[in-house]
Amino acid sequence: MVKLEYLKKEYEKTRQMPGKWPLSSYRYKFNITHFQPFLKALKEKRLIGLKCRSCNTVSFPPKLVCGKCLVQPDQWVALRDTGMVATFTANYMKDETTGELQSFPVIAIQQDGADTTFLTQLNPAVKFEDVYVGMPVKVKWKNQPEGNLGDIEYYDVIDDATKKMKLQNE
Amino acid sequence: MSKQQAAIVSAGFCEHASKRSDVNMAEMANEAIQDCLNNANIEMDAVDAIVMGNMPAFEGANLPELWMTDWVGARDKPLIRVTTGGTTGGSVAIAGYYHVAAGLPGIETVLAVAFEQQSCGNTSVGLSSVALGEISIVNALGLPAESAMRIFGAGAAIGIASYQAINYMKRSGCTEEDLARVVVQNRRNAAKNWWTHLKMPDYTIEQVMATPYVSYPLRFGMVTPASDGACAVLFTREEIAKDTVDIPAYVNGVSSVANETGIVGYAAAGAGQLDPCEQLGAVESAKLAYSQAGISFPEKEIDYAEVYSPFPNQELMWLERLGLFKENTAHLRYRDGTTAPNGELPVNCSGGVNSTNAIGASGLERVAEAALQIMGKAENQVPKTVHTSIGHGWGGCINFVTLTVLSDQPRRK
Ligand SMILES: [Zn+2]
Repeated sequence: MVKLEYLKKEYEKTRQMPGKWPLSSYRYKFNITHFQPFLKALKEKRLIGLKCRSCNTVSFPPKLVCGKCLVQPDQWVALRDTGMVATFTANYMKDETTGELQSFPVIAIQQDGADTTFLTQLNPAVKFEDVYVGMPVKVKWKNQPEGNLGDIEYYDVIDDATKKMKLQNE
Repeated sequence: MSKQQAAIVSAGFCEHASKRSDVNMAEMANEAIQDCLNNANIEMDAVDAIVMGNMPAFEGANLPELWMTDWVGARDKPLIRVTTGGTTGGSVAIAGYYHVAAGLPGIETVLAVAFEQQSCGNTSVGLSSVALGEISIVNALGLPAESAMRIFGAGAAIGIASYQAINYMKRSGCTEEDLARVVVQNRRNAAKNWWTHLKMPDYTIEQVMATPYVSYPLRFGMVTPASDGACAVLFTREEIAKDTVDIPAYVNGVSSVANETGIVGYAAAGAGQLDPCEQLGAVESAKLAYSQAGISFPEKEIDYAEVYSPFPNQELMWLERLGLFKENTAHLRYRDGTTAPNGELPVNCSGGVNSTNAIGASGLERVAEAALQIMGKAENQVPKTVHTSIGHGWGGCINFVTLTVLSDQPRRK
C-alpha cells in the first residue's frame, strides 16, 4: 500500500483542476399515463385521488404503483378542495431588485379524503410564523385552468373550526 | 464455511476540516487507514479484504474504487464499494461485518473505509443529481420552474430536517432552546476529539439563538457543517480479536431498513408518511438489530449511543425511535443531563454529525466511536463502563436507517 509520509514531503498543497458535470444533459424518464385523468380533472377545477383496491390508500397526487401492495391503483375517487397542513417550513430568497431577504412558507398538505402528502405553496401573504401543523387550507384555483399542476395557484387559509370548539368548551 | 462471531479491534480517522486542500480523496482515505492500522499495531498484509464507500455525486469523481485501489491497500485483494446515501458509512460497516461473519475461507480480517471530500465538489449539485429528476417531472406536469424550485429548494437535507423538527416540536412540546441545548452539548464534545470539525468548547445556547434561521425552525448555529474527512474500522474474527486487543467490540446485531421515500415521493407524488418524524424505518431497524443482539430492554441495556443527527431535532427523534427514551421525552433528558458524557446514557461524545459531517464517512464514524467507547479507547471516553453501545445511520430521502449493536461480550449462542 502507498505510504503517505514519503509523498507528503514533496508538496504541501494538492493541485486543483476544474471540471463540469452538466446534469441537464441526462434524460429522466417517467410514466405519465396515470396522471392524465388527474390533469383533465384539474382543468375542470376538480380534484381526484387514485385508490389502491388492495389497501384502500388514496394517493393525491396519483401514484402509478402502490408501494405497500405492489399493485396498480385504478379507482379514481373525488376529493374535496380542502385539506390540512401535515408539515411545513419556510424558504428564504433574495428579492432580485431590492436585494431584500424574503421568507415564505412551503407546506405539505393532506387533501381531505387522501392518505398521502402533497408538497405545495401557501398563500404568499401568510407569514410562516402563523402556520401550524393541522391548519385547515383550501385550494385557490387559477382563473383559467389549463389542465396542469400550475392550475392550483396556491392553498389559502380557512377558518379553523376546532379553535372555536375549544373556545366554547372553555 | 461456518458463521463467525465478528468484532471490531481498531478504528482510525483523518483530521476533518471544511477544506483539506493538502490532500486529495485517495490520500485522505489513506490517512484514516494508516491511523486505524497503527492503533492496532497491524500491517496491511494482515488485511484480507476491503470494503469502501462514499457518495461520488458529492465529489463529482465517479467510481473511486477503480482508481483508489492502491491507496486503500486493495491490490491483489477482494474490494467492494457500497453507496447508500447518508447511510453509506453505516452500510460499509455492515458489509465489513458480513465479510467476516460469513466465515469465507481466507477472509478473516476486513478493513472498512468510508470518506467524503466535499470541498472537491458542490453539495447542492450532488443533491440536485438526486432531486433534479423529481423537479423536472413536476415541471413537465405544468408547475412553473420558478415555483418548482421554490418548493423543492426548501427540500434537500435541511428542508426535510425542518419538516421533522416542526412535527417533533408539535408532538413533544420541545422548544427552540431545547434544540440549541443539543447543539451546544455536541459542539463541546467535539472539542474533546482531535479529528472533529466544529470544535466549540465555549458554545452557549444564547449564541445559537442569536443566529438567523436557515430554514425555520433551524438556525444557522444549529446546522451541520460540510466536512472533508475519512474513517476506517477493522473487523476480524473472535479468536484474532482476543489476541489483538484487551476488549474487542463484538458486533452482535446489524440492520438496514428502507422505508417509503419521505415527503416528496416518486414523481413528486407525495408520501404516505404524514408525519415525517414518525420514522417507522428506525423503529423496525431497532427491532431487528436488538433481537439479533438479545436485547429486550434497550433503555436499560444500552450504555452508550452514537446517533446520526446532522440537525439537533433528529438526535431527539432517533433516541426515541430507537427505544432509548420514551416518546416525546428526549428533550427533557438533555435538560437533566442524562445524555452528557458523565450522564446515565451518554450520547454522541464524538460531537456527532452535528459537529463533523463528511457525509459518506459519518455513518462509519458512529460505529467507530461506539466501538471505541467499549474498548475504552475513545478520546472523549465516558467515565462509566460501556458494555453495550449502538451506532446508527440515516440517509436517503429520509428513508434509510442502519443500526449496529456492539458489546464487550460475544453474542449468546
Ligand atoms: Zn395498496
